[in-house]
Amino acid sequence: AGRPVTVASLFGEDKPETRVWRKIAEILNRTAPGRFDLRIVGNAALGGEKEVAEGVRLGSVQASLSTISALSGWVPDSQILDLPFLFRDRGHLKRVLAGPLGDELKGKFEGQGFVVLGFINYGARHLLAKEPITTPAGIKGKRIRVIQSPLHTELWSGLGAYPTPIPIPETYNALKTGVVDCMDLTKSAYVGFKLHEVVPYLIETGHIWASGVIYVSAAFWKGLSAEDKAALSAAAAEGVGYFDDLIVADEEASMAKAAAEGGKVVQPQDRPAWEEGARKVWTSFASKLGGIDKIEAVAKSA
Amino acid sequence: MTSLATSSLVPKPSLRRRAERGLFGLVAGLEWLGAIILAVLFAVVMAAVLRRYVFGGGYVWSDELAIWLNVALVAVGAPLAATSALAMRLDVIVRLLPAGAQRLASVFADAVAVHGSLVLACGGASVVALVGGSSTVLGLPEWLRFAAFAVGGGLTVVVVLWRAALDSSWPAALASLVLGIGFYLAAQSATGIFVETPSLVAASLAGLGLILGAPLPYVLLAGVSLSGAFGGLLPEPAIVQNTVSGVSKFLLLAIPFFLLAGELLTAGGLAERLVRFAASLVGHWRAGLAQTTLMSSVLFSGASGSSVANAAFGAKVMAPALIARGYPPAHAAAIVAGVSMLDNIIPPSIAFLILATATNLSVGSLLVGGFIAGGVLALALAIGIHLSVREVVDAAPKASGQERAKSFIGALPAIGLGVVVVVGIRFGVVTVTEASALAVAYALIACLALRSLNIGTVFGALRKSATEAAAVGMLIGASAPFAFLLAVDRVSDQMAGLVTALGGGPYAVMLLANLVLLVAGLFLDIGAAILLLAPLLLPVAISAGLDPIQFGVILVVNLMIHGLTPPLGILVYVVSGITRVPAGAVFRAVLPLLATLLVALAVLCLGAAAWPSFPPPFKELF
Ligand code: NA
Ligand code: NA
Repeated sequence: AGRPVTVASLFGEDKPETRVWRKIAEILNRTAPGRFDLRIVGNAALGGEKEVAEGVRLGSVQASLSTISALSGWVPDSQILDLPFLFRDRGHLKRVLAGPLGDELKGKFEGQGFVVLGFINYGARHLLAKEPITTPAGIKGKRIRVIQSPLHTELWSGLGAYPTPIPIPETYNALKTGVVDCMDLTKSAYVGFKLHEVVPYLIETGHIWASGVIYVSAAFWKGLSAEDKAALSAAAAEGVGYFDDLIVADEEASMAKAAAEGGKVVQPQDRPAWEEGARKVWTSFASKLGGIDKIEAVAKSA
Repeated sequence: MTSLATSSLVPKPSLRRRAERGLFGLVAGLEWLGAIILAVLFAVVMAAVLRRYVFGGGYVWSDELAIWLNVALVAVGAPLAATSALAMRLDVIVRLLPAGAQRLASVFADAVAVHGSLVLACGGASVVALVGGSSTVLGLPEWLRFAAFAVGGGLTVVVVLWRAALDSSWPAALASLVLGIGFYLAAQSATGIFVETPSLVAASLAGLGLILGAPLPYVLLAGVSLSGAFGGLLPEPAIVQNTVSGVSKFLLLAIPFFLLAGELLTAGGLAERLVRFAASLVGHWRAGLAQTTLMSSVLFSGASGSSVANAAFGAKVMAPALIARGYPPAHAAAIVAGVSMLDNIIPPSIAFLILATATNLSVGSLLVGGFIAGGVLALALAIGIHLSVREVVDAAPKASGQERAKSFIGALPAIGLGVVVVVGIRFGVVTVTEASALAVAYALIACLALRSLNIGTVFGALRKSATEAAAVGMLIGASAPFAFLLAVDRVSDQMAGLVTALGGGPYAVMLLANLVLLVAGLFLDIGAAILLLAPLLLPVAISAGLDPIQFGVILVVNLMIHGLTPPLGILVYVVSGITRVPAGAVFRAVLPLLATLLVALAVLCLGAAAWPSFPPPFKELF
C-alpha cells in the first residue's frame, strides 16, 4: 500500500490542519498512485508541535505542519517572521517568503533535518480585551495572557502591560475571573475557544503574523525517488494554497459567529505608537536575527 | 527466600552485608536527590506565584524550568520505580506457581525490567546525539532532558540487578542481565514479519511481562520496543523521546505537590483532626466507626489529590481502630480501600489532572463534575457500609453540639487547605500547578504554626513524596510511547466502531464505552488507562451528543472503581501492604462496596446520557 508516512496533525478532521493532509493524500492518489500510504493522525495524538518536530528528527513522524515559533529552538533566525508589526498584511508576508529570505530559511531548516515544502499562513494575532483598548496607552498596567516566549513577553512588557503565561485550556477561566484582562490570538482560535464570551472586543491589531511550514523529515525525503519527490512537492504546493484559503474562510465564519453572539471588532488607533512600542523588540532581537538593517529591509520591502 | 539463604549461591555474610549496605546507600542517595529536586521545584513555582500576585507579571522561564526539574525528578526516581512498593508489579498470578517456577518467573520479570531500562539508557543516548535544538526560554540545549533519562535508565539496570542478587542470587541476577540484553537485541533485529497493528504485538508482550510480575512502566517500554521487530513504527530514540515528552507537561507538576501536601497533612497531624471531626458527626450511627472512616475520607479527599495517599493514611490510622473495635481485619481493610477511591473523584484529583493533560479538558470545569459525582459515590458507600456491616454494633455515644463545634474548629486548618485549593482552581485565581504548590505552602505553614512538624519530618515527607511522584511520573511517561503506537495504528477508528456498534445515540455509546472501560480497567493501571483510552473515547462521546466534561468524570469514576478489582486493584494492594492482610481476602471483603459503587456508576451514566435531552433552564442550574 505504498511507503508508510506518519503524518501528525494537532486538530480534528474538520480543521484546516488536518484537511490539508487529506487534500495532499487525495492529490497523491492521482499523481503517484500506490506510492505513499499517508497515516494521518489528528487531535495531537502524536504530541504538540515541538514533540512532533523531535519525532521528525528521530524517525517516528515523517510529515507535519508547524508554526515557525515551534521550530525556533532549531532555527533561531526564523523568529524574524514572528517580529511584531513587521508585515503590513498577508500579501506582504507572502511576497517576502517567496523571495530570498524564504530560500535562506528553507536552507537553514533543511540543515536541521526539516525539509520545507511550503510556507503557510495561520492568520494574524489580534488583541482581545474586555474593553476597546485601541491605543498603547490603554494597555498600560493591564495583565495580559501570553504564550511562554521571550519575544511575546518583551512585546507586552515593552508596552507597559504585565505578561502572564497561562496554558490555553485555563485561559477562558482566567479571563472570566479577572486573573488577566486581555490576551492575543488568531481569529479562528479566538472563536474556537469561545473566548469572545469573556473578551468580546477584538482589536484588529494584526501585530504578529503566525507563519508556518509544511515539512517532511530530511531522512524520509532522501529516501524518495526523484519522481516521488516531484509528486510530493507539487501536492504540497497545492496544499499551501488550499490551507491559506481554508484559514481565510474559517476566519470569516468565526468572526460572523462572534458577531452574532455579541463580539465586537474595533480598529486600533495611533498605529505609529503601537509600532514604536514593537520596535523595542526588533532592536532587542536584532543581533540574533541578522541585524537591524535586515529587519528594516524586510519591513520596507514591497 | 529463606530457602535460598542457605544455598551456596548466596555470597558470604560479610560480603552480603556490604552489598546490602551499598544498595541501601545508593537508593537513599537517589531518594535524597529526588527530595532536593522537589524542594527546588517548589521554590521555583512559589517564586513565580509571588512575583505574579505581589509584583505583577511573571518570569518567562519559570514554567519551563519547573518542567525540566520534574523530568529530572522522574529520571532520578526511575530506578526506585522499578524496585519499590510502587513498582506496580502484579504478583497475584506468580504467587500461585510452585517455588521453582516462581524463581524462573522472577528471573524473567527482572529481565523485562532490564530490557526496558536499556531502552531508556541506549535510546536516551541516541536522542541526546540526534535531537538538537535548544530551549528558547531557558537558553539550554534540549538534549539535557533526555540525558537525564539515559542516566536514569542506566542506574535502573544497576539497581534492579543488585536487588535481584540480594533477593535471589548473583547467578539469577546474571541470568536476568543476559536475558534482558537478549530481549533488547531481539527488539533491534528485523524479523521481516510486518504486522499491521504493532500496538497489538506490544500489548500482548507487555501483558506477558506483567503476568510474570515485571514492573508496569518497564513492561510498557519493553513491549513497545519489541514491537519494533515486527515493523513497529516507533524507532528506539523516539520511544525515549515520547516518554520524556509524556512527563514534560506543566499540568503534571501538580502531582508531586499534591502528594507532598497529603504527606504533610498526615505527618503534621492535620488529618487526625479531620478524623475527630468526622467521628463527632457520624460516630453514633450504626457501624459508626466505619461511617467515620468514610466521612474522614471525604474530608481528606477535599484537601488531597491522591487516592493512594488517602488509602495509606486510612490503613495506618483507621484500620487498626476498626480492628480493635471488632471488625474482621479483611473487612476493616476493605472499608479503608473502598472509601479511599473518593480522593480522586472529589477535587483536587490527580486522575482529573491526567485526564486534562490527555484531552485538553479544563480542570476548572472538571472540578464541578467531580463534586457531584463524589457526592453520589459517598452516598452509595454510606449505604453500602450500612447494609454490609452486620455483626459489629459499635455506635459511639452521640457527640454534643459543643463537642462537634470544638472538633470542627480543630479540623479547620485542614478544611481550609481544601478550600484554598478548590476555590483557587475553580475561580481561576491560580493555575492548578500554582494551587497545588499553595497547598504545600499552606500545609507547611499550618503544621509549623501548630508545632506539629519539625525539619526532620518535613525532609522525610519531601523524600517520600518525591519517590512516589517519580513512580507515578514514570508510569505516565512509559504510557506515552504506547499511546503513540495506538494512535498510528488507527486503533481510534476501531475503538469508535466498537463503541458505536449499537448506534451512535447517547445511551448506546455510554453503555458500550463503560463496558470497554470496565474490561480494560481490569488490566490497566488507572493512570495508564486514562492516558490510553480517554483520547480514543472522548471524540466518540462528543459526537454522540454527550457532554465532554460529564463523560470525562464518568470515565474517571469507572476507572477508579478498578482500584478495588483484581488483578490490579492498586488501592487494595496499598492497604493490604500496610495492614498486612492478604490482598485476596481484601478483594473478597470489598465486594459489597464494589457492588454499591457500580450501582452509583450506573446512576451517573443514566444522568449523563439523559442530559442532552434535559430542558435548557434546568441545565443552567449547574
Ligand atoms: Na481529592
Ligand atoms: Na486496575
